[in-house]
Amino acid sequence: MKNEWVDTLAGSVRVKARGKGIERLINACVRQGIAVWNVKKHSADTATFFIKLSDVKRLRHVARQSECKLSFVGRTGLPFFWRQAWRNSGFWLGLLLFIAIVFLLSNIVWKIEIKGAAPETEHQIARELKRMGVERGVFQFLLDDPETLQKKLTERVPDITWVGVEWKGTSLHFRVVEKEIPEPKKPIPPRHLVAKKEAVIADLFVEEGQPLVSVNDYVQKGQLLVSGIIGAEGRTKFVPASGKVFGETWYKSTVVLPLETTFHVLTGKFTERHYVGIGRLLIPVWGWKKPVFAHTIVETEKRPFRFWKWDLPLYYERITIREAEEVKRRYTWEEAFAEAKEIARRELRAKLPEEAAIRSEKVLHQAKENGKVRVELHYEVIENIAVPQPIVQGD
Amino acid sequence: MVKKWRQQMKRWMAEKLELPADIMMDLPRITMVGHIHIYIENHRGLLAFSDKELRLLLRNGQLVVRGEQFVIKTILPEEILLEGKISQVVYIDE
Repeated sequence: MKNEWVDTLAGSVRVKARGKGIERLINACVRQGIAVWNVKKHSADTATFFIKLSDVKRLRHVARQSECKLSFVGRTGLPFFWRQAWRNSGFWLGLLLFIAIVFLLSNIVWKIEIKGAAPETEHQIARELKRMGVERGVFQFLLDDPETLQKKLTERVPDITWVGVEWKGTSLHFRVVEKEIPEPKKPIPPRHLVAKKEAVIADLFVEEGQPLVSVNDYVQKGQLLVSGIIGAEGRTKFVPASGKVFGETWYKSTVVLPLETTFHVLTGKFTERHYVGIGRLLIPVWGWKKPVFAHTIVETEKRPFRFWKWDLPLYYERITIREAEEVKRRYTWEEAFAEAKEIARRELRAKLPEEAAIRSEKVLHQAKENGKVRVELHYEVIENIAVPQPIVQGD
Repeated sequence: MVKKWRQQMKRWMAEKLELPADIMMDLPRITMVGHIHIYIENHRGLLAFSDKELRLLLRNGQLVVRGEQFVIKTILPEEILLEGKISQVVYIDE
């Protein structure tokens, strides 16, 4: 039996034979080892059959000795397909070029639109974007993703509260919400001021209300400091008490610090590698150098390629290999104690409101324990301890 | 005389030794699948072919296949596969 698949690959020809002695011609072919198949008789003196493309020369030889006239009526198979494809290569090239151009243009930023910002802010945003490399005509996959853009913008442009970043096809939309000047205060309902925590009063500054404590008084948490009820007996009035009551408060903190720490610091050297990926397969495009870094920190960034308005399953991936250095930090006991105190102070400062001040610091206890120092500190802090408490009116 | 004697000898061997007759006696082996396929081995060449009739030369005699819409699917020096609507298979002795 014949393997038609092989014939398709090698190419086959349909032959039309006309004349007498077609049977003899076929017999001769078969004897010569020419494979013949699908023989059909159309009338008394015409028949068609298929032979391999490679047998055509031998068939001509055989046919010369017969009384038949041969003509070729059909061609199938890969060789003919290629010939046809080559003839149409201009068309294919055009189609390919068209797809390539659409692909290229789909991956370019065509428009940057900023909405909801005052002209001044808009200009500022535009300038900031330009500095970040976001411009008309750059490739989309080289930019940061919208979340990062959003974060960077909010950090760099002080006048905006929020910015929404969104891709709409090939245009990048920014929706901006600007910081607004706070509206005039609404009238505050009557209230007292009470102590936030236990303290010794250091200073009083009352704008409105009746102060009930004086300097050097010791107050408990929740104790009334400034009353919102003023006026003589019988002719009382409710007012929103306001003001500041500075009290001396106390904090205790414990810091444990090891003498030896290792951590990684970036040296600033890096190599970048660019890939095009499909699924899990990564095809390197640029950057093959093997970095000679001992310690590295690897960052990867992935951005999809686009075609028309769709994201393709193809994506661009940039892998940045940064050199890291291992740094060992060693403290002597004295340095460690000093550093621990510094850390404690910093931590406390971060916890306290801005107007608070650390008045004094006292080491309660400090100890060396296997490779670490342990410091307990006591702080005296001057801070505003007044918090409002609404007066429940009624009865 | 010798030819006939040899033929008889072969037939006897085929019967007694249970050897396949087509090999021993150079007879055609014909396989048919319903009336749509016919596969003939051991033929000696094509004598006539049209879409209604196929005539094959055998070692002694001819084989005529009649039917409709005949197509020779494959033809090799000693084998032929015919497709179509087969109605008759006729042996013609010399």
